[in-house]
Amino acid sequence: MSPAYVLKRIALICYTLFVVSLIVFAITQILPADAAVMLLGENATQEALAAVRERLGLDAPLWQQYLHWLGGVVQGDFGTSMRTGQPVGPALFEALGRSLLLALFSILLMLALALPLGIVAAIRRGRIADLVVGVISYIGVSLPEFVTATLLVLVLADWLQWLPATGYVPLTENFGRGLLHLVLPVLTVSLILIAHVSRMVRSELVDVLHTDYIRAARLKGLSNRTVLFKHGLRNALLPTITIVALDIGYLLGGVIVVEEIFALPGIGRQLIVAIQSRDLPSVQAGALIMATTYAIANFLADIAYAWLDRRIQYD
Amino acid sequence: MATILDIAGYNLDYATPTGFTRALDAVTLSIGGGEVLGLVGESGSGKTSLAWAIMRYLPQSAREAGGIRLRDKDLIAASPAEIGAIRGRRIGMVFQDPSTSLNPTLPLGEQLAEVLERHRGLSRKQAWAEGEAMLARVGLKLPAQMMRRYPHEASGGEKQRVVIATAFACQPECIIFDEPTTALDVITACQILDLFAELQAETGVASLYISHDLALVSRVATRVAVIHRGRIVEQGAVAQVFAAPSDAYTQKLLAAVPRPDHRLVETTPDPAAKPLVEVEKLSVHYGRKPFLAKLLGREGTRFTGNREVSLAVQPGEILGIVGESGSGKSTLAKALTGLNPFEGGLRFDGRPIAGIGDMDRAYRRDVQIIFQHPDSSLNPRQRIREILSRPLALYGKPGQGRGAEAIGDLLEQVRLPRSYAERYPHQLSGGEKQRVAIARAFASQPRLVICDEITSALDVSVQASVIELLVDLQRRHGTAYLFITHDLNLVRQIAHRIAVMYRGDLVELVDVAALPAGASHAYTRSLLDAVPAPASPSA
Repeated sequence: MSPAYVLKRIALICYTLFVVSLIVFAITQILPADAAVMLLGENATQEALAAVRERLGLDAPLWQQYLHWLGGVVQGDFGTSMRTGQPVGPALFEALGRSLLLALFSILLMLALALPLGIVAAIRRGRIADLVVGVISYIGVSLPEFVTATLLVLVLADWLQWLPATGYVPLTENFGRGLLHLVLPVLTVSLILIAHVSRMVRSELVDVLHTDYIRAARLKGLSNRTVLFKHGLRNALLPTITIVALDIGYLLGGVIVVEEIFALPGIGRQLIVAIQSRDLPSVQAGALIMATTYAIANFLADIAYAWLDRRIQYD
Repeated sequence: MATILDIAGYNLDYATPTGFTRALDAVTLSIGGGEVLGLVGESGSGKTSLAWAIMRYLPQSAREAGGIRLRDKDLIAASPAEIGAIRGRRIGMVFQDPSTSLNPTLPLGEQLAEVLERHRGLSRKQAWAEGEAMLARVGLKLPAQMMRRYPHEASGGEKQRVVIATAFACQPECIIFDEPTTALDVITACQILDLFAELQAETGVASLYISHDLALVSRVATRVAVIHRGRIVEQGAVAQVFAAPSDAYTQKLLAAVPRPDHRLVETTPDPAAKPLVEVEKLSVHYGRKPFLAKLLGREGTRFTGNREVSLAVQPGEILGIVGESGSGKSTLAKALTGLNPFEGGLRFDGRPIAGIGDMDRAYRRDVQIIFQHPDSSLNPRQRIREILSRPLALYGKPGQGRGAEAIGDLLEQVRLPRSYAERYPHQLSGGEKQRVAIARAFASQPRLVICDEITSALDVSVQASVIELLVDLQRRHGTAYLFITHDLNLVRQIAHRIAVMYRGDLVELVDVAALPAGASHAYTRSLLDAVPAPASPSA
């Protein structure tokens, strides 16, 4: 993997984000919302509306508005929220931080459980352990988040009273309580991830364990452990990385339902509020931020892929 | 000579839902130090099962009886831990295809050094130093560099040398070679065989050399055992078994081996006739410019499959095309059938064909192709009847029937029972499937049939009958063949002329009759030298 390849991929990300910014800007223009009306209310006079439009630059041609917006974005200025009158950026990044925290814990829990489960299921293929893992992952894949979330709340928060049902406490404010509040959302989300990833690890590993090079490794007298971890898992993990990268995209924005149930003010929830209140600058910024995290996650996955499998040639 | 590996009265059965199937039946073999025992058999004969039994690599469903001993060690009774210490240490193995038996994501050196670490207790650093020495010993030019390379960065021959180095790394007493040259090019295979002979003599290891290729076994082995349906039907010194085979199966096997001096085709094409196909300076390039390169105005790298190939085929002529893999044989076949875009001139029956657009229905009726693997060229979900009815519907001539009658006739033409029309491909053997593919190609009564390695997936005795069928069809219909193969002995039996290809170029076009006298091109000569002389019962 050459530095040129990494640079090229970064250039490609910038290009992707540029296209995304165009689409985001275009879509918010189509939305049936007049920013000036939104600001001043239905009863504003024509003069007042015109004055606001001029102040906000809404009477300028579209491409000027776009450039103005983009210029701000690259400097970290996402505009002013029409709902709160505050700058959009800080509020969104704060929400992104909370979502990232949820994502980070969920992925850690997923890695800690999904890999061993997938490996066990693959080695004990067709036996009880395989069946159990299979059933768990089917449940995880097929149950919607709101069902698993509700069940978890019912058991862990309502009956057992071990955990708070909803709400969010920043870790900087009260670390212990903050963690407790994160447990249920993390459990809900990671159950789905575990289901995805353990199934993937299992089926890939089953395929890999039937290859000629695994047989060759065994016939060299290598121990089961060496064959499995050194020769098998490395190859089985390759497609798994792609799935995990897609899951990261899901974690940042796709978990709106979970954020809603647990009253976790993450980026998905922020975006929903912005859309409901037709807060255009927030919608634009939120969509762009989510696209960026998605692109970065995929970029990292490609880098990891290339590092694990040297056959992938980048010119 | 001390016996190293001793197999006595060994039976192997696999449990299946319908009972037991016998894979090996009363196998008795022994190999002494410094000896090479060639184990010859066709696919399904049990030769690979025997290798797995020796390596103690059998599925759960295996049931065994009898004995396998390595010196005084009873391998069948050995515990898994003991087996782990024996594999790679006392018994090594060289596999058929180095491109699948090496882990694609680990450096070659790692895959060699790990054996030394495991069995000889070397540290990582010592193992890499020792590995480098091993690679030098198996004739790799830049061993230090090769250690760090990944499998995809090495050629097939280089990879097989690494596998061989791994097998010899711990000075084992016995090594099993499972068709170690089958996946390699003729010339590379020849070099690997030389290396094998050298290391064998040097180390005095007891070798079990498994192969389907009798000619090859007669060259490398001191003794040979012929296996058929799980039974050793004949065993003895190479010279004796090949000169005077006592078993009927061995005799049949030997008779099926292609022998260049034994011509199967009597016809000769009329040299004065108007050529059926004229190929002039035909080139095929693969790869397109990457988007970015196009954007920046850079020259994209194109891979040349064929470089200005010129040749002509007379009506009724069998033109053999030989060359190693990647030499452009199949590329040419694909260009002629419109599967590859090409540049240059092509005339069929005097009619210019400038590109795929000119390959109309008439051209496609006249030019048919048969592929190497009938498994992938016959739709597994269609009955033979449906498979054969397509070309009849597409290209059938007005007088020609299209119904069950015509399909039955097609099957009979390739010597298959008419009742096969109702079968699915998986209900047929490999040779029968290839016959169906031949019947499909001949359904349109073509004037040129391109045979792309059509017998290389078949056993030697099946190959012989398929070739006989092709020769018969050629005699009856006067069809011209472009016969693509890597088997020089085979092509010399049937072709009128041979085109030799090397890295996309047509290096020589030579008359078969003139071949023994001496080919002019150096590559053709090295190709001829590399082909093992066929074992002959008469010689």
